[in-house]
Amino acid sequence: MLGYTLRRVAGTIPVLFMVSLLIFALVQFAPGDPVDMLVSDEATEEVRLAIRSAWGLDQPVYVQYLTFLKNAVMGDFGQSFRYREPVMQLILERLPASLELAIYSTLLAVAIGLPLGVWAASRPNSLVDTVGSIGGFFGISLPNFWLGILLILLFAGTFNLLPSGGRETWGLNVERVTGFLTIDAIIAGRWDALWDALRHLALPVVVLGTNMTGIIMQITRASVLENLQEDYVMTARAKGMSGRVVLWRHAFRNALIAVITIIGLEFGTLISGAIIVETVFAWPGIGYLLLQGISFRDFPLITGLVLVYTTLFVLINLAIDMIYTIVDPRIRMG
Amino acid sequence: MMKAIKRLLLLSGAAAAMAGGAAQQVQAQKADQITVAITEGITGNNPYADSVVLIGSIWCQVYGCLTRWDFETGKFVPFLAESLEPEDDLNWILTLRADWKRHNGEPVVAADVVHSIERSRNDPESMSQASVQYIEKAEPLDDRRLRITTTQKMATLPNYLATMQITSKKIYDQHGAKVADREHPVGAGPYRLVEVGIGSHIVIERVDDHPMVQPTNPKRIIYRMMAEPEQRVTALANGEVQIAQGIPPQLVSRVQQLPNATAEIVDSAEAMFIAMSPKTAPWDNPKVRQAVCHSINREGIARAILGNQVTLLNGPVGAGQLGFDPAYVSPIDYNPEKARKLLEEAGAVGVAVDLYSPVGRYIADRQIAEAVVPMLQDVGFKATLQTPEWATLWTNVQRGETPFYYMGRGNMLDPSPALAQYFETDASPRLKYSNPDVDALLQAERQEFDPEKRVAMLSKAMTAITEDAPACFLWLHKLSWGVAKGVDYKPSKADRVNGWEIHLR
Amino acid sequence: MVRSSKTRKLAKALKSPKAAFSLAVIALLLLAAAFAPLIAPFDPNRQDLMLAMTPPQLAGPHFLGTDHVGRDMMSRIIYGSRVSLLIAVAVVLFSGVVGVTLGVVSGYYGGRVDSIVQKFLEVVWAFPPLLLAISIVAFLGQGLGILIVALASQRWIPYCRLARAEALSLREREFVSAARSLGAGDARILRTHILPNLIQSALIVATFAMATAIIAESSLSFLGLGVPATTPTWGGMLSDARAYISTSWWMALFPGLCIFCTVLAINLLGDVLRTHLDPRLNRA
Repeated sequence: MLGYTLRRVAGTIPVLFMVSLLIFALVQFAPGDPVDMLVSDEATEEVRLAIRSAWGLDQPVYVQYLTFLKNAVMGDFGQSFRYREPVMQLILERLPASLELAIYSTLLAVAIGLPLGVWAASRPNSLVDTVGSIGGFFGISLPNFWLGILLILLFAGTFNLLPSGGRETWGLNVERVTGFLTIDAIIAGRWDALWDALRHLALPVVVLGTNMTGIIMQITRASVLENLQEDYVMTARAKGMSGRVVLWRHAFRNALIAVITIIGLEFGTLISGAIIVETVFAWPGIGYLLLQGISFRDFPLITGLVLVYTTLFVLINLAIDMIYTIVDPRIRMG
Repeated sequence: MMKAIKRLLLLSGAAAAMAGGAAQQVQAQKADQITVAITEGITGNNPYADSVVLIGSIWCQVYGCLTRWDFETGKFVPFLAESLEPEDDLNWILTLRADWKRHNGEPVVAADVVHSIERSRNDPESMSQASVQYIEKAEPLDDRRLRITTTQKMATLPNYLATMQITSKKIYDQHGAKVADREHPVGAGPYRLVEVGIGSHIVIERVDDHPMVQPTNPKRIIYRMMAEPEQRVTALANGEVQIAQGIPPQLVSRVQQLPNATAEIVDSAEAMFIAMSPKTAPWDNPKVRQAVCHSINREGIARAILGNQVTLLNGPVGAGQLGFDPAYVSPIDYNPEKARKLLEEAGAVGVAVDLYSPVGRYIADRQIAEAVVPMLQDVGFKATLQTPEWATLWTNVQRGETPFYYMGRGNMLDPSPALAQYFETDASPRLKYSNPDVDALLQAERQEFDPEKRVAMLSKAMTAITEDAPACFLWLHKLSWGVAKGVDYKPSKADRVNGWEIHLR
Repeated sequence: MVRSSKTRKLAKALKSPKAAFSLAVIALLLLAAAFAPLIAPFDPNRQDLMLAMTPPQLAGPHFLGTDHVGRDMMSRIIYGSRVSLLIAVAVVLFSGVVGVTLGVVSGYYGGRVDSIVQKFLEVVWAFPPLLLAISIVAFLGQGLGILIVALASQRWIPYCRLARAEALSLREREFVSAARSLGAGDARILRTHILPNLIQSALIVATFAMATAIIAESSLSFLGLGVPATTPTWGGMLSDARAYISTSWWMALFPGLCIFCTVLAINLLGDVLRTHLDPRLNRA
């Protein structure tokens, strides 16, 4: 098992290499030019050429790539054109914000979707089943910006209960240890800061969680229903096991494989794809950073972000595979 | 794991029980602090590296700039510089104030100005090279005076220099750019830098003994990025922010109805126009271009989409901008009949044209372009709307590869650079327009030190451009700012939120 | 007779209220799409700035109101069903087939095959969709087909991971090893034992993917990929509504409701068919 894990982790390197090559080609050949995007409208052609050469963009593409590779191996992923900071530093400063958002959203979605799904499977067509399903489909049918703005209008506006956006109130001065504000607040024993962080988390978490809850509930419901009809469950039931034991010990456990897969996928998508929610709520995470990177053709920033995504996805997939073998010991990896 | 979660839940419950949110508490403690919701920018600590106007104004508050534009008198007034006067055709003498000091007590010297010009030009991170591109050299005459030599006779030099931040040469030499900007942002402006959160916020604090500061100015200003308009309005409504930039037309009435805030409306200095590059058919024919301008029902668009939050233009500039002639009425009115006739005369009925529009870059840009397309169709164009992503469009426009587009040009208080850029032969690749009369006027205007003569030439050039119609000048958007009651702030034509112009009551 | 009993079961299944609802919705959508020019009260692109943002009128003529340039919402929704439904179905089918195939192969064979497929998946997953779309427009140009490929380019990933997970788990079950020891070939095992077991979860992913594909279409169309920016689509209408959420609620609500009804109907139908046609229920 350990050998397999190590092999998988080592397997990240060729994936990263492939991704870096592809993304490099993609950003270089995409229309739009970083110098034109960032320089003042009134800059002359000479000024533009000077910047281009300062950024190394006057070199042939393969030279640029080889330079990038050489530096990347040393841990230097270049400096952002727009923010003029080392790319990895920029990303790692913001990663906790996105991770925190993704983790709480996933927890919320699992906490609601999973029990609802099991409940719905044990009593198909019941009120809970119907209402839960309809709610889930409604959640996915409205874009995130719609739900996000609606919640801002309601909870920050009408009821004035929560902040309209951002991640924290300025001036709380809690020492950054992990970058996760809720955890840092606990470490520092600052309950006011914890409360502040949770209040800022609430709305974006609900928006992202709503999207995810529906699919988790539906997958759980279907998988549990499916497993309830398997022969062995029928047998167990015929042998006189109680409904609840059958449901939780057998049907639910086997159903978990599909559910965990979906959770992994959704979590991965949340980390990388919360662009709209991060924009609507002015959340200082990597989704918003990516949007800026793409909008300004900030090549080093885009490349760095995509490499970070790749690493995260590989790790998530690995973690999910490990969980498979725990949930269902019959599954062997490698 | 379960225990940890349980503990977390308990803690959050306890926190919830505490009266009031932390946000309100902080707010209550700091009544003389205000938060400003802004729409874009904040890219880092280097004052030369952000080309967003509002961010530039923050750096001017921290470091101090040479002069600033006074909207009431329509003139540049002293800031760090006492005067900037032409010596002869190419040389200017700049004199610094004697009485202002940096936050560490040191004076601002001529060498700092030379250094700042150098940094604008040569700092690898600088995006303000354009402001010094006509400066040949700058040399200190003594501590307070320096001579600036331009590459050509330039009446508009003060315009270019106005927004340049003056950083300290001494600190730079001691620490280098990065450390100087980040750890020693010691300026001579009325506010000092407290914190920069890249892409999220900038915090500045009042320098109490600064000559520009009054006791009613806010002690601390937090500029917060909020990209979403609904968020800005909501934050204004619930007291999270006191000034909100960029209230879109459809939300203005909501802001006006707020019990605790109001909308302050001001004309922008950004002309919105539809450009037609004469290099590309059918735009080589002035009649076809004029047909476009005659076909657009500006009043209709202004009413339906922009809530009448616009000032219709008779040329590239409006009231309060240099070269504006209130008596001039453009002959290019809304007249679909005439447009049809012009198109027939040009033999271009049914010609296929693609109108390019940005999405989300200017106020209601795509919606406006969407409304323009059927108007063009109505007079006989076979018009299609194209909405590429901004970077693609902007790069192509700057390179002159997009012949027909809706766009805006900001920073036009003095329209001279913008006019040259768009309408002077070969000044930039973007429009490929060439008109010897316009060229002559623009070149002469730039070299005219007499303001009145200069303005007359500008007006004449603009009339020629308007009637030859390489672009239809549509309107200036009215910019709406949300301002909380109890905050006295009148926004200006430029996107500047200066602490010394804000008074708390 | 097996056939007649199946037909009878199907007939019975389709009489349930759930099925009736979903069939009615789907029929309505198909009719709207097919006969849009006959049904729609207005030309969907006819603007009337004087009537911009008229709220829904119970007495007509603009029953669902008008949008920001005064186009009739109802007509746009009816016409919008054409592109939106086509895209939803095509994207879901295309990504479903690719994803399930790759996933089943990956999970069933495991080892090197699995490792290669999963690495490929991780590479594709890493690309930001926005950037991918910008580049696709630049290199491949416009077109509905290209739009569908672009939308499907990453949407196969969930099917693949899910199918792989199920295959990983199923290949170790007794009934599969039993079948194998009886000499059944891989193809047969995949077809009779693995695939039927993952249809259900794939269907759920598909219903959710439909909704997101309809919404995502608009953002790609605005980049110039796919349908012209003025062609009405539900996703496009939702995007139009973004600036007017607090002022003109109808602009977002109605297209959103259409997507909701579509997704709900398809899910219900899938659910009905499954409970009534499950081979294992027949077995029991």
